[in-house]
Amino acid sequence: MTASDLVALSPLILLSATALVVMLSIAIRRHHGASATLALLGLAASFASLRWAASVTPRQVTGLLLIDGYTLFYWGVLLALAAAVVLLAYSYLEHQTGHQEEFYCLMLLATAGGLVLVASSHMASLFLGFEILSVSLYALIAYLHLQRLPLEAGVKYLVLAATSSAFLLFGMALLYSETGSMQLATLARFYMGAPNAALGAAGWAGTVLMLTGIGFKLAVVPFHLWTPDVYQGAPLPTTALVATISKGSVFALLLRWFHPAGSLAGTPVWWAFVIMAAASMLAGNLLALRQNNVKRLLAYSSIAHMGYLMVAFVAAGPLAVQAATYYLLAYVITILGAFGIMSVLCSGEEECCELEDYRGLFWQRPVLAAMFSAMLLSLAGIPLTAGFLGKFYVMAAGASSALWLLLFVLVASSTIGLYYYLRVLVVLFSSLPEDHVKVMLPRGRVPAGAGFSLAVLVILLFVFGLYPAPLWDLIRGISAGIG
Amino acid sequence: MPTSAAENYFPVLLQILIAMAVAGGMVGGSFFLGHKVRNRIKDMPYESGMVPTGDARGRFSVKFYLVGMLFILFDIEAIFLYPWVVVFHELKMLAFIEMVLFIVFVLAGFFYIWKKGVLNWAAEGNDEGKDAVRILSHDQHAA
Amino acid sequence: MILLWLIAILILAGVLAAVAGRFNAAAPRVISLAALVLDLALCLGLWGRGLSSASRWSEELSWTWVPQLGIHFHLALDGLGLVLILLTMFLGIMAVLASWNGIQRSPGFFHFNVMWVLAGVTGVFLAVDLFLFYFFWELMLVPMYFLIAIWGYQRRIYAAVKFFLFTQISSLLMLIAMIVLVILHQRTAGFYSFDLQDLLATPLAPDMEMLLALGFLAAFAVKLPAFPFHTWLPDAHAEAPTAGSVILAGLLLKTGAFGMLRFVLPLFPHAVQRLAPLMMTLAVLGILYGAILAFAQNDLKRMVAYTSVSHMGFVLLGIFALNPIALQGVVVQMVSHGISTGALFVLAGALNERLHSRELRDMGGLWETMPMLSGVGLFFVMASAGMPGLGDFVGEFMVLLGTYQATPVLSALAALGMITGACYALRLAQKTFLGPNVHHSDFPDARWNERAIAVPMMVCLLWIGLYPQPLLNMIRPAIDNMPRQAVTARR
Repeated sequence: MTASDLVALSPLILLSATALVVMLSIAIRRHHGASATLALLGLAASFASLRWAASVTPRQVTGLLLIDGYTLFYWGVLLALAAAVVLLAYSYLEHQTGHQEEFYCLMLLATAGGLVLVASSHMASLFLGFEILSVSLYALIAYLHLQRLPLEAGVKYLVLAATSSAFLLFGMALLYSETGSMQLATLARFYMGAPNAALGAAGWAGTVLMLTGIGFKLAVVPFHLWTPDVYQGAPLPTTALVATISKGSVFALLLRWFHPAGSLAGTPVWWAFVIMAAASMLAGNLLALRQNNVKRLLAYSSIAHMGYLMVAFVAAGPLAVQAATYYLLAYVITILGAFGIMSVLCSGEEECCELEDYRGLFWQRPVLAAMFSAMLLSLAGIPLTAGFLGKFYVMAAGASSALWLLLFVLVASSTIGLYYYLRVLVVLFSSLPEDHVKVMLPRGRVPAGAGFSLAVLVILLFVFGLYPAPLWDLIRGISAGIG
Repeated sequence: MPTSAAENYFPVLLQILIAMAVAGGMVGGSFFLGHKVRNRIKDMPYESGMVPTGDARGRFSVKFYLVGMLFILFDIEAIFLYPWVVVFHELKMLAFIEMVLFIVFVLAGFFYIWKKGVLNWAAEGNDEGKDAVRILSHDQHAA
Repeated sequence: MILLWLIAILILAGVLAAVAGRFNAAAPRVISLAALVLDLALCLGLWGRGLSSASRWSEELSWTWVPQLGIHFHLALDGLGLVLILLTMFLGIMAVLASWNGIQRSPGFFHFNVMWVLAGVTGVFLAVDLFLFYFFWELMLVPMYFLIAIWGYQRRIYAAVKFFLFTQISSLLMLIAMIVLVILHQRTAGFYSFDLQDLLATPLAPDMEMLLALGFLAAFAVKLPAFPFHTWLPDAHAEAPTAGSVILAGLLLKTGAFGMLRFVLPLFPHAVQRLAPLMMTLAVLGILYGAILAFAQNDLKRMVAYTSVSHMGFVLLGIFALNPIALQGVVVQMVSHGISTGALFVLAGALNERLHSRELRDMGGLWETMPMLSGVGLFFVMASAGMPGLGDFVGEFMVLLGTYQATPVLSALAALGMITGACYALRLAQKTFLGPNVHHSDFPDARWNERAIAVPMMVCLLWIGLYPQPLLNMIRPAIDNMPRQAVTARR
């Protein structure tokens, strides 16, 4: 461990230290604003240190973590997402009874877990990151434990996530027994079919088990069953966290080490990916059709979006890594915006996530409704928004690898998807019911922090939808190192 | 010398079979041969000679769980000290710094739960403590 | 640069209207009208300057947009585009005038949508980069969806969703075809480009060319609409508010035909020849089927909508006849159908505003109290039926003439469409304006805005009908510029 190693790790160290500081500050004196501010400052410091860390990368820090451009890019994304969640959570938690401060501590820890996952180059660090993330999420999902739904969701997630961790661990053990190495790079070489490296039955079994663990976190079919309940039950900021940081970091890991999976074309594992992608797109979109709760609807739609991402992942051409990264970025911005707007609209302890709660929102709160529509259109992949360019790149990646079947599933399922996004849009713009009870906030009272983060998200949505060239260059730069 | 895996493990298999036969034989034998008396006393659960009272699903105070959990947490963390001692001479200063950091983290956690009042058995005095216990026991009643 | 302004003015006016609408209910319509008049003036200026004969495009603008994939913000104008943007601005003004008083609810947002849909249409007519084309193609969809879903009639949501889904699935197929074409081009040429000019040279295997052509045709045939893909049209047209119907029938349908002319014919000349018999058969089926269904309708707007299916059949027929006369006829037909059908929708809207019904049985004898409106109505009904001397006749006649050179049988069958056209047109006139005034309806005659719409539209139709030469002069170079093999092969 040298000084340069510490510099490379500085964002992670600062983030973990912030979690500790927030915890101690709670122990000394509880103050909601102070905790949120500390968390935000810590995230900012961590983000600022990315530049510093960039001066010593690429660098392998011990056997466990690999810090290169790709890592730092995703770290930046995760830290920015976490900061947005802090801002949104602050206004949301103000309305909740019980302690609010621990939320930030747990949230920072979950983010730290995500950071470790992204950087991990070894099975041990992979598992550590995975668990730091999961354990924080158990508590975050059940954070409003005086209510029935969050508690139920927390227990559900606990049981299923623990099971999936066990699968992951068993898979790692089998792969280790077969390959004799716990380095992910060695493992990836085995998949690419390097000379003198072929996996036996135990190795493939281990692969399947590891995929189970990772598939659970990504919520791709058939490991998606927890998604709707957890999305619905968890408090909105946590839902946003699960949808962005948890999925984003796991996908970044998968993409980095297994993006050559396309060279497996035709093998059973490749087919497993293809089927998972197609099934996620279809099942996610079909199941979302009948949902009347917006959180559940977005949960099913997230399954479908992971399916789209898998298309880029399976494509594995020169475009694939860039397309997947761009799509992921567009998706997390969009979904964070959508959940953020929902959390801003909730006043009081009860969340209003039924579709009917949103009837006629446009006539009451035009700006928020317009933002929400922009997010929905981005999810549906309509031009002007980042979602469209994401889908465009994914299709380009798929087409350059001639994945016709997946592309047609993508077209069909995104048309199905469009139907339910339109359903929500229709509700937003339909006239107010006669006996309308005012559940939404009165006009003009969006808290400053949440309003700021929503505005930034909307601007990013359009910037990435209209002028992707600089970001595209950046992504090309960071992904060049891993291909 | 045994030459194959099957030969290697044959004694183990034999032992398993014998163990199962002995256990099954004893239970089955007493079931078929034993003299059976059924009455209320016999049907009662055996509680070391005490007469059982109350509902079997009675609840423990949440404080037991909390303390149990904390014990396990700190105990496991203490276990890390043993391997550390073994390799201390090889790793030198680095190991020392890391262990100091580790202990600081553990202490920070300890400080947090202390201030939170989890260690406060009587749940008096400290408002935070009362709060924690109230919320936790509320969960139990609500469940 | 002026091309960018054409689009930017509309987009900015839309935003301005939305903002102004929060303070003043009358401001948005004034802003929209002013922007459209300005745009029309710019277009007329472009026309007045004359088309350059030296180069393919008389006005061009190209900026790098996404260099990594060779996407350019590339707008270009030729005669075909000029005719259609003139039509766009003209019908845009009519649409705004038609909804001058009718929009109570959120006028700012309404005009925002009108402006943006027109911006999308303008962009479609100007884009020569495939990605940019797709971008505008989708851009016009969302505001149209809102126009139907918020300001439409009773079954508006069903109609809006159906419209959106039909167009979206077909345009995604087109997007895939575009991407595949670009990738194939990259494999042979070594660089990515979405520019039409670059892609023209892509060598394609016959089967691949056919598949790609079908991908593009999927989007255009749904938008046109060609016969089996037309089912969204009657719903969308009937449920949309007047301005929406005018823009849908007058402009959005034309984007389908324009796409075929601009992209399908030049990019896939061999596939087009193989597909021509099939497409022409579909076109004839569409002409007759649309006419028969139009005859059977009892709802005025649905009736006009089905006449569109019939008339757009002529357009499709002319495109795939693949010779210069038919193609010129296609453009004339596009313009005159846009005007006559747009006018009929304005008329239907005006009647609905007075009668609160679109049913034919609630009408009849309207001439008695509304002679001016009824007279105007009769004029446009006759135009739609293809009366000589009016625009539609010229277009249909040229299409039939061109088709006769290609396949006489289909031309003869299509000519039946002109007879059926007369049938539904006469029924329409009889049931609404003529006959006894059984309902004793007594409504005010044409208002100032209705007159302001009717007069220029009548003038235009008469002009195209009597002296189409200036229009043909404008189109001719664009058609001559199409790759020879596509157009002349079947002459």
